[in-house]
Amino acid sequence: MSKVVEISPTTRHEGHSKLVMQVNDDGIVERGDWLSITPVRGIEKLAIGKTMEQVPKIASRVCGICPIAHTLAGVEAMEASIGCEIPEDAKLLRYILQCANRTHSHALHNILSLPDMHIPGTDVKINPFTKEEPVRSAALRIQRLREIAQTIGEIVGGEAIHPSNPRVGGCYKNITPRAKAKIYDLAKEGRLLAQEHMEFMISVFRDFQTRGTTEVGGVEVEIPDDLGYHRQGYMATAPMYGSSSLDANPTWFPERFTEVRPWDWYMGEVEISEADPNYPIGGTTPVGNKAWPQMEACTGVPLYDGQPIEVGPRARLVQFKNYDEKGAMGLQIARQMEFPDTMYGILDAVDALNTSGPVVADKIPQGDGSLGWAANEAPRGTDVHLARVKDGRVQYYSLLVPTTWNFPTCSRALTGAPWRLAEVIMRAYDPCVSCATHMLVIDEDKRLVAQKLIQ
Amino acid sequence: MDVLGNYKSVISARSTDKDITKKSQDGGIITTLFAYALEEGIIDGAIVAGPGDEPWKPEPVVATTKAELLAAAGTRYTISPNLNLIKEATRSYGLDRVGIVGTPCQMQAVRKAQLYPIGMRDVDDKIALALGIFCMENLSYQALEAIVEDHCNQKMESVKKMDIGKGKFTVYTERGAVSQMPLKLLSKYVQPGCNVCLDYVANLADISSGSVGSPDGWSTVFVRSMKGNAVWDGAIAADLFETKPMDQVKPGLDLVTKLATEKITKNQKNVDARKTFGLKADGTAKGLRNPYETP
Ligand SMILES: Cc1cc2nc3c(=O)[nH]c(=O)nc-3n(C[C@H](O)[C@H](O)[C@H](O)COP(=O)(O)OP(=O)(O)OC[C@H]3O[C@@H](n4cnc5c(N)ncnc54)[C@H](O)[C@@H]3O)c2cc1C
Ligand code: SF4
Repeated sequence: MSKVVEISPTTRHEGHSKLVMQVNDDGIVERGDWLSITPVRGIEKLAIGKTMEQVPKIASRVCGICPIAHTLAGVEAMEASIGCEIPEDAKLLRYILQCANRTHSHALHNILSLPDMHIPGTDVKINPFTKEEPVRSAALRIQRLREIAQTIGEIVGGEAIHPSNPRVGGCYKNITPRAKAKIYDLAKEGRLLAQEHMEFMISVFRDFQTRGTTEVGGVEVEIPDDLGYHRQGYMATAPMYGSSSLDANPTWFPERFTEVRPWDWYMGEVEISEADPNYPIGGTTPVGNKAWPQMEACTGVPLYDGQPIEVGPRARLVQFKNYDEKGAMGLQIARQMEFPDTMYGILDAVDALNTSGPVVADKIPQGDGSLGWAANEAPRGTDVHLARVKDGRVQYYSLLVPTTWNFPTCSRALTGAPWRLAEVIMRAYDPCVSCATHMLVIDEDKRLVAQKLIQ
Repeated sequence: MDVLGNYKSVISARSTDKDITKKSQDGGIITTLFAYALEEGIIDGAIVAGPGDEPWKPEPVVATTKAELLAAAGTRYTISPNLNLIKEATRSYGLDRVGIVGTPCQMQAVRKAQLYPIGMRDVDDKIALALGIFCMENLSYQALEAIVEDHCNQKMESVKKMDIGKGKFTVYTERGAVSQMPLKLLSKYVQPGCNVCLDYVANLADISSGSVGSPDGWSTVFVRSMKGNAVWDGAIAADLFETKPMDQVKPGLDLVTKLATEKITKNQKNVDARKTFGLKADGTAKGLRNPYETP
């Protein structure tokens, strides 16, 4: 007889979400629903009628960990709609910003994941705040990597959180030769740290893969070999940056996207029948409470080719580097493997940057209402913004953000796992729930919006 | 009242660098100190009032060379929003040690941004040298034009130097003419915001400098902070300044104190008057905001 257990709220990720799971007598998940319960803020609706300059600055405030993604996808969706090609040096500044933010975000996520892991070869769980080695030097390395990344982001982006420099048509400012030299120095230091750090993090996740059990709230839980496996596909538009409808050969296809309501996809009303007051910290939802994922989920369910798919570091590596490791740890390892490329990316781009080149397009059309889209490979995966701009004002705006894509996929990946490890699987996706929570794109008659988009 | 602020020493001084004193307003203190700080790596750039697109209209710039500092030397008696660049200097300019010059109100802004950095991330620890200039009041660009072109009857383009002192606003042209306007006509042109200003000698700067108190071509210099002290001692050791003890120059510190007291007393009255500026329907006073008090 299956029982229902609920972890609410989930922790050590961005935003507000919960896990509702049907489990068998052994506590193994038969069907899991992971859903956002973050209040919808309605960015897409309030964007309508505002200027194309303003909307990406508002969209940036969707999330403070990956504001770069929303700023760049937002600005570039506007540029795609109005048909504006930006100067080469503006592209390079944006590229550096993108790489820097990815470093910072992945390093930050390490802090969130490490407490589930053990010091390799021991039974000691990692407390990132401890002064003991080897954790202390890893923590210091993480903070230095983040500091380097945020500083570089600040120089090219104007601001590390909510970058001020990108604008429709390019960037407000190029950087000085001194700033360029500073980026070199920082990225050279960062490159060595990133390599060292990647190796450390991979050894930690590999250690978890080879362990038989791990302790969660006083219970010794068996770790299945296929922890977090799923059979969904992957979606990625580029190894580092992204794609847009201005590209000669775009790598994202709006006609392959559809979206269904949570109603069609999540579980109906259930009563909690299993609980563990010792689940860290504060216990799970007590028995007798009700949950109704269909009604409570605050995101739509986006599908690509009719299926939920995975986006993020592994999807990028699968698509562009033939990576094939599955499961939660496979995803974590893929994320670490992205570290060195971010610093190499910065070094290459800053090398190519001409600090006296123009960074704003000569002409910025005001738009005729055509649909444009831009996909940005955010730290957590493909972030697509779609827009129609007419006479400088936004007529239509929609966000398809990484964690929204991952919600249904990760839910599927819970099946077969002990429920006490569900959060470990979820954290492998580096969820950003604020990002994911947005208005549904589907209309009243459940007509597929993508069809409307390409009409 | 402590009208001159805290300071470690006050000196009358003049730069020994002739290139600088040719262009500077008074003793060339600011330009010389920034050039020295740049060379010593104390700062890697300074926000100064550079040339703008109209004559005598300053435009804040980040100077990283002596030539850029020289181009910005001298006083422009109109608003130069130097703080506009304080954050950008640490961004696209990539500075780690920022120098900034400004009037007393601008020094207040710098210090406030350091202690209460609202939207000023990573600025506080990058302020390396804040140099203040004395300031009695400031003018809008239109006001300056009216004074120069109407009252003094000179073209802005022809003017070589402007100076306030000895009760007069004086304009020197490149072709040698000198025109003056009595300062008592100035008040209607003053930026209204200057009427609540309670700082004359840039009390919050690391070092502040002005003309009052010292002879022509010399400056009165207050060395205030530890940082200011170290920079000043270094510049003296490098023979960058001629100095005279303040009590041996005319008109001396008494005049500085007198003018500072006058400014503060007059403006404190303006601040107080705002409290009872208006009337409510019931006949009681309804005031204007006072930024020096918590509402
Ligand atoms: C509006 C105003 C009012 C002043 N009132 C008085 C006064 O009542 N009594 C007095 O003794 N001195 C006053 N001064 C200061 C004086 O004019 C000189 O600036 C000061 O003595 C420094 O001279 P210096 O030769 O050491 O500096 P310099 O080497 O000539 O350098 C002056 C520096 O000030 C900067 N600067 C010029 N104009 C402005 C501006 N508008 N805002 C901000 N920075 C600027 C320049 O870029 C330069 O870096 C005033 C200055 C201003 C701008
Ligand atoms: S009088 Fe005061 S407020 Fe006005 S410019 Fe001078 S320092 Fe600033």
